[in-house]
Amino acid sequence: MSEENNNNEGRFAKNKQISKLLEGYDKNYKKLLIIPIVMLILSIGVISYKYSTTGDFVEKDISLKGGITISIPSKDVDVDSLKTYLSSEFPGSDISVRTLTRLGEKIGITISASDIGSNELLNSLKTKLGDLDYGVEEMGSSLGKSFFKETFIAILFAFLFIVIVVFFYFRQPIPSLAIVLSAFSNMVVTLAIINLIGVKLSTAGVAAFLMLIGYSVDTNILLSTKVLKRKGGEVIDRIVNGMKTGLAMTSTTVIAIVIAYIFSQSAALSQIMLILIIGLLMDVLNTWVQNAGILRLYLERRTKNE
Amino acid sequence: MSKIKKIFTNLRVIILLAVILFAVVAVNPHPFNKGVTIRNVILNSSASLAGIESPKPTASPMSKERIISINNKPINNVLDYYSFEASLKQNRTVSIKTDRGTYRLITKYKTETIVLNETINETITHEVDVTEIVNGTKVNKTINKTEVITVPKTITKVYNDSIDLGIRVYNAPTTNIRKGLDLQGGTRVLLEPEEKISADEMEIVLSNIKQRLNVYGLSDIVVRTTADLSGNQYILIEIAGVNEEEVKELVARQGKFEAKIGDNIVFKGGNDIPYICRSADCSGIDPNTGCSQTNGQWFCRFRFSISLSPEAAERQAELTENLDIVTEGQQDYLNETLDLYLDNQHVDSLNIGAELKGRAITDIQISGSGMGTTEQAALFESLKNMKRLQTILITGSLPVKLNIVKTDAISPALGEKFVKNAFFIGFLAIVGVSLIVFLIYRRIEISLSIIITVIAEVILILGVAALIGWNIDIAAIAGIIIAIGSGVDDQIVISDELLRKEQQIFFNWKQRIKNAFFIIMAAYFTTVVAMLPLMRAGAGLLKGFAITTIIGISVGVFITRPAFAAVVEILLKDKL
Repeated sequence: MSEENNNNEGRFAKNKQISKLLEGYDKNYKKLLIIPIVMLILSIGVISYKYSTTGDFVEKDISLKGGITISIPSKDVDVDSLKTYLSSEFPGSDISVRTLTRLGEKIGITISASDIGSNELLNSLKTKLGDLDYGVEEMGSSLGKSFFKETFIAILFAFLFIVIVVFFYFRQPIPSLAIVLSAFSNMVVTLAIINLIGVKLSTAGVAAFLMLIGYSVDTNILLSTKVLKRKGGEVIDRIVNGMKTGLAMTSTTVIAIVIAYIFSQSAALSQIMLILIIGLLMDVLNTWVQNAGILRLYLERRTKNE
Repeated sequence: MSKIKKIFTNLRVIILLAVILFAVVAVNPHPFNKGVTIRNVILNSSASLAGIESPKPTASPMSKERIISINNKPINNVLDYYSFEASLKQNRTVSIKTDRGTYRLITKYKTETIVLNETINETITHEVDVTEIVNGTKVNKTINKTEVITVPKTITKVYNDSIDLGIRVYNAPTTNIRKGLDLQGGTRVLLEPEEKISADEMEIVLSNIKQRLNVYGLSDIVVRTTADLSGNQYILIEIAGVNEEEVKELVARQGKFEAKIGDNIVFKGGNDIPYICRSADCSGIDPNTGCSQTNGQWFCRFRFSISLSPEAAERQAELTENLDIVTEGQQDYLNETLDLYLDNQHVDSLNIGAELKGRAITDIQISGSGMGTTEQAALFESLKNMKRLQTILITGSLPVKLNIVKTDAISPALGEKFVKNAFFIGFLAIVGVSLIVFLIYRRIEISLSIIITVIAEVILILGVAALIGWNIDIAAIAGIIIAIGSGVDDQIVISDELLRKEQQIFFNWKQRIKNAFFIIMAAYFTTVVAMLPLMRAGAGLLKGFAITTIIGISVGVFITRPAFAAVVEILLKDKL
């Protein structure tokens, strides 16, 4: 194959710079493997620190913690005066007032509180603002807790089922586990970043993590198929070949999600999109550096043993 | 030209087109549908007297009756309808034109009516056709006949400042897709039994709640159970369009009725009370005390008789035997009262006549009261309370106490904005994705095929949802996003496997298609199994998400992907 290349074309791509980059990726794959490992360890550190200081893996919002959320789709409400009004009405209560914006334009506000009854809060809002369109959501704290636990169990089961399907497909235990490890580190690193930028996780955010598993497994299966099931060329050629497809997949998904994030008017949808953007970018690293590195090490070990 | 012919004669493409056609029929889109659709019709209102009926809750959205104009003035939306209603005067005739016919209504003031459990006799006069023989010839004649019939007694409160035609409406739907509660507005209550109950007991709870809601005349209600992975049971109630505080209170009420002397239970609701009187002679406003005014507030007392089982009567005899007799005014009473509790809340205390001491009496009177600023209001409130207490005693108490764990009241305006926003985002996302795809492949055919398949997939998912009556809510929209995202991913895999030079060196066309579908199927199965645990997790909060995702990716893998591969093959195979 390399004979076909002339001076203008590198080994892996027409563009010389990209080809150089890929050559570096080829030669240094063991060193590169350190990056995702360090990131995973740091992430576990961040999450453990959060857990030891707050007793939770992540900061939860009202929908997971229990409490009440009122959303008002109105541009004319002044957030600051509402804040001072509410803190004088309910001194010592944990109330947060946030503005919903779209493209920098204010489209409404949401008020969250964890220790006030919905009727009390609604009545005091009505005295201040009059009759507006109020959306009220109230979550019992027990349900929030069990919902979080339940999702945790569901994710464990999901991982277990994925391992079974992947093993059935590839019939090789280490690559199967590597796919799940990649999806797992993807979730952990994303969770750590969410923690660091101070996002309060909602039920919608939990759903986003589940969506992430699906996307992450897709790219990893693409990689494993290319490496394990295909013949012809060297392993690195097949990886680069798969990476082109994988990056095309990721870039279309990311562009759709970024658009949704920018134009979304709902807090729930915005959070789903934010988590997916972070997760998909991390997935590039987890699939094409971590999993690809593990697969190459695995294949080298196997040929040596033979 | 022949290529286009080839595409449309390809079996996979034909299957796709046929299924899309079927989906469009199921969705039944009418984007310019105007008017308001009837959600429900209030009993005995002008509308119900004129023959307009409430739609069945199971009817598909497009098949529900739609109001087009009133008095020849077109009614385009809910605002039109209610502002027209507000402009009406009493005792006028209005003609309402719907998609089924024209009705003539006589306007009435807005009223609130409660149907009591007691009955009264009413004399009515109606015309009957009879045949008489006069002088040997048959003559058809209409005579007035008077009859006495038994009807339920009602009490009515009139608001003489506003007109109510008795129709509850919403903007006419433009498709058969059922919007979930978070998109159309309404109230959702999630209840959890305090302790674990059996499937039989759960049946009782569900039918009991339904019965109680029916008493309040609400339609468009969903009552069902859901569970989670840990085996916790929940009851989900969804009431579309309305925000009923009272409903929330009524459904969560266990209806545990207890009558106690001191701390001892004399009798409970259920088996201890075999008979509850609902006729006028032994139920209604207490004729002895009636209504009275204190400090500007009116009080009215109600009473109704019940029968106790012999065991309960025996218990009463035992508990009253050792009580002392006190004299209050002219009457002799026992020194303890019979206290009535509903769901552990004190309702009323009754003095026990001295003559009942130590005797097993089976006929007992239950009483309570209502309060209001006017006598009329107090009367109304009192009878409402009686009715509620009787309903609870008749429908029986729930076998377990229910706790409200989650309530949502969603304003319809929020939902409408969300749908518009979702469409806008979807449109922009498709444009963005096809641009990127064009940048990658530099082939307009691939971008176009991807756009067309994405749109086809959305139509198919919505078609399936309309067909099985599945609600599209925010969670389902997230599921659709996943399905479309992985759809685009799969199409990129197909394009890459078929068109890349590297692939062409090692594999022939058939093998390349096989390679692509190997990856697609692996991704499909892993996503499906990852969604399975979610269907049962967390009180069904993620069920909509999981099911829509599974429907979406299944439709994609089995219908649109094969068609996409066929189209790419026809368009590009010879260009390579």
